[in-house]
Amino acid sequence: MSAADRAHDLLGRLVHASAFERFLISTSALLLSVFIGALIILGAGRMTDCASAAYTIAVPGKFVTQFVGGSAVFSMGFCYDPFAVYDLLFLGALGDVLSNPLNGQFATTLAETTILMFTGVAVAVAFRADIFNIGVQGQLVVGALTTGVVLAFVAPALAGLGLLATVVLLPLGLLLGAVAGGAYAAIPGALKAYADANEVITTIMLNFVATSIALFLVSREKFFKDPASFANQTVPLPDVALFPKFLFRPRDDVSLLAFAFAVVVLVGIWYLLQHTPFGYDLRTSGLQPDAAEYGGVDADRTIVSSMTLSGALAGIGGAVYVLMVLGNFQTGVPDYGFDGITVSILAGNNPLGVGFAALLFGVLKSGSIVVQVGSDVPPTLVGVLRGLIILFVAMPEFFRMIGRKFGSFDRPSEPAVADATGGGSDE
Amino acid sequence: MSDQPQPPVFGTVRRAAASAYDWLFVGRSRLQQAVISLVLLAAVGLTVAGVFAPQSDAGRLFAVLTADSTLGATLRLSVPIAFAALGGIFAEKSGVINIGLEGLLIIAAFVGVWGTDATGSVWLGLLGGVLASTLLAGLFAVVCIEFRADQIIAGLAVWLIALGLAPFLSSVIYGSKNTVSVDTFPTLPQLGVPFVSDFVTAPLPVVGVAPVDIPFFGALFDASPPVYLMLLAVALSWYVLHRTAFGRWVEASGENPKALDTAGVNVHRVRYAAVLLSGVLAGVGGAALALGVGQFTGNGPTMVNGKGFIAIVAYLFGNYNPVGALASTMLFAGLDATQLTLQARDVFQVPTELVRTIPYVTVIVVLAVFGRTRIPSAGGEHYESGEDD
Repeated sequence: MSAADRAHDLLGRLVHASAFERFLISTSALLLSVFIGALIILGAGRMTDCASAAYTIAVPGKFVTQFVGGSAVFSMGFCYDPFAVYDLLFLGALGDVLSNPLNGQFATTLAETTILMFTGVAVAVAFRADIFNIGVQGQLVVGALTTGVVLAFVAPALAGLGLLATVVLLPLGLLLGAVAGGAYAAIPGALKAYADANEVITTIMLNFVATSIALFLVSREKFFKDPASFANQTVPLPDVALFPKFLFRPRDDVSLLAFAFAVVVLVGIWYLLQHTPFGYDLRTSGLQPDAAEYGGVDADRTIVSSMTLSGALAGIGGAVYVLMVLGNFQTGVPDYGFDGITVSILAGNNPLGVGFAALLFGVLKSGSIVVQVGSDVPPTLVGVLRGLIILFVAMPEFFRMIGRKFGSFDRPSEPAVADATGGGSDE
Repeated sequence: MSDQPQPPVFGTVRRAAASAYDWLFVGRSRLQQAVISLVLLAAVGLTVAGVFAPQSDAGRLFAVLTADSTLGATLRLSVPIAFAALGGIFAEKSGVINIGLEGLLIIAAFVGVWGTDATGSVWLGLLGGVLASTLLAGLFAVVCIEFRADQIIAGLAVWLIALGLAPFLSSVIYGSKNTVSVDTFPTLPQLGVPFVSDFVTAPLPVVGVAPVDIPFFGALFDASPPVYLMLLAVALSWYVLHRTAFGRWVEASGENPKALDTAGVNVHRVRYAAVLLSGVLAGVGGAALALGVGQFTGNGPTMVNGKGFIAIVAYLFGNYNPVGALASTMLFAGLDATQLTLQARDVFQVPTELVRTIPYVTVIVVLAVFGRTRIPSAGGEHYESGEDD
């Protein structure tokens, strides 16, 4: 018993130590991505035409020439100024937050953060069981669609009841999203568990299927298309069915209630993973499948149940997207699922870390709108950063090498090597 | 029956039928046998309907399936998938699972069009696409081999980088996620290849049959150069993998890197070569895809639209054999071609959105029913030579 305790204690310390290392790696990966992103902005600035350079690199620089005199030996102009772009991207997303914390841009940031918390934790749950759920996007679409369609039938009947209607409809909407997303994720889960079908491929294929089915159902009036609208969308839900918006302006599509709900869910999932038998089974089958099976864990059932949980979280994200942002279902759902992958990887697949990574990505997503309005740089830049961040977080060895070279980061044991080869099952 | 003398042709047919039966059914699970029987039955039923009841729904579907344009479209749509699948075979056989093929296709598709627009030559554009894809594959190789990254995550990163970068560059250069239109590849008759051009334009003198264009297979002589490149690449890949020293090294690097190392061959170098080769091959596929259309479209999942992932299933289904990969590629591409022809001819009142999901659903079914392929034993694992430490 005491030996097991000691082993547990040792494991705990290792995990803790590697959590700090992981934080360093995530931060370095982020900085490196931002740096490469700046180079890409500069490069892109050479490919386009503009009347005058927004940014100039000169050797020796202006700082020297204005004191010493003379002119630069080498000078190159760029159409885009990376500092200005990053200023818009990171600070623009916050709006005028110091003087008015409830400004519209910050509202967008919070709304994006809320949904990314769900998709991020959905990816994280699957990752911890060593399953790559790339289908969070599709599960989110299915959840959002189900919520939008079913509530459109149920809500009008209850619309007169006021607050009572909200108390009934809001949980119902979230439940619908969870059930639909969970069921949709159970398919690739079962295919992996019982037919050995690689879940990376099946979930990606199911993303395409989900988008097509949603388009099919929402573009035809005989199904669920809103006859009063030209766009492919369902009928608007009555306000009582939606997340109540307090503090922020009504036209800012954000709800602090939804945000608080997301935080509660993150903490709940963290507790589930760390402190319940189910979470223990899930994590051990992710880290040591053979050992878990030997210890009596039904590996197949764990795969299906962790996929279902992951999909349910994604589906709730979809429901929140409908009930907080849109007010109905519309086709052309943004890439929340793919951003969720980045959020989860950046957070080391830790549900609590997902909260912070989601905030960072909420800032990036909201900031990309500011970039689009305030500069000529295409907002798809954020998509590039997303990929770069994943790439750099995936190569901890690179940062360890640099760390070793400069000696600042020398540790006797190397616990993370094991999980680098362990295939995505982090910590 | 059996003691009667039979004409030799009959025996040959029977032997062929028996070996086909062995190949199709023996040693397979119930489910696989059921699916294979169902497909065979459907094929026979469609043919019967096509011959005897051409006006029925099944008969009209048969007409669509055997249309000249269907084979033409199948070959055209096979190009990106087949090239990516060939690349995937090399990488995965060497022990590096390259799930970023989709990203390589995307970046090559964009740079192919951009290069064509800049240089005015389709072939230089193709070269540009190949270069871009190879560079990205090189980055992937360094990350996986040098820095021991998780191959699946790094592959996803390659996909997402390209998914962001291609529309980004397109917006920077052309002001929209879709590029301008450029020239496409000329077909063989347009190139004026002497024999083939005559062959296609002149009616075929078959005894007893009125002079007609070659039915169905006429598309084989009427295709654009990338289709022939694809057939050539499949043959070459098969030769390299099964008949050369490099092919054996690739195989050993994925199955037993330690033995290869002991034999004095640098495992890392073999893996670099295999991954770079996957970049070259996927690059041809991606550039050919965009240059076949003459434009890069970068909305949503871009014009590549999952073809890189379908390619992975194609080579798994083809059991890492280039010829098998081409066959399963043509299955998926054929389904896609059929749905395109169905849409174009408006034969059935089928909703296009649902028909479009057929290839994706088929991929899932194939993976679920035939998915238990054996990946190389060292696939996905990092190899560190003993003397490095």
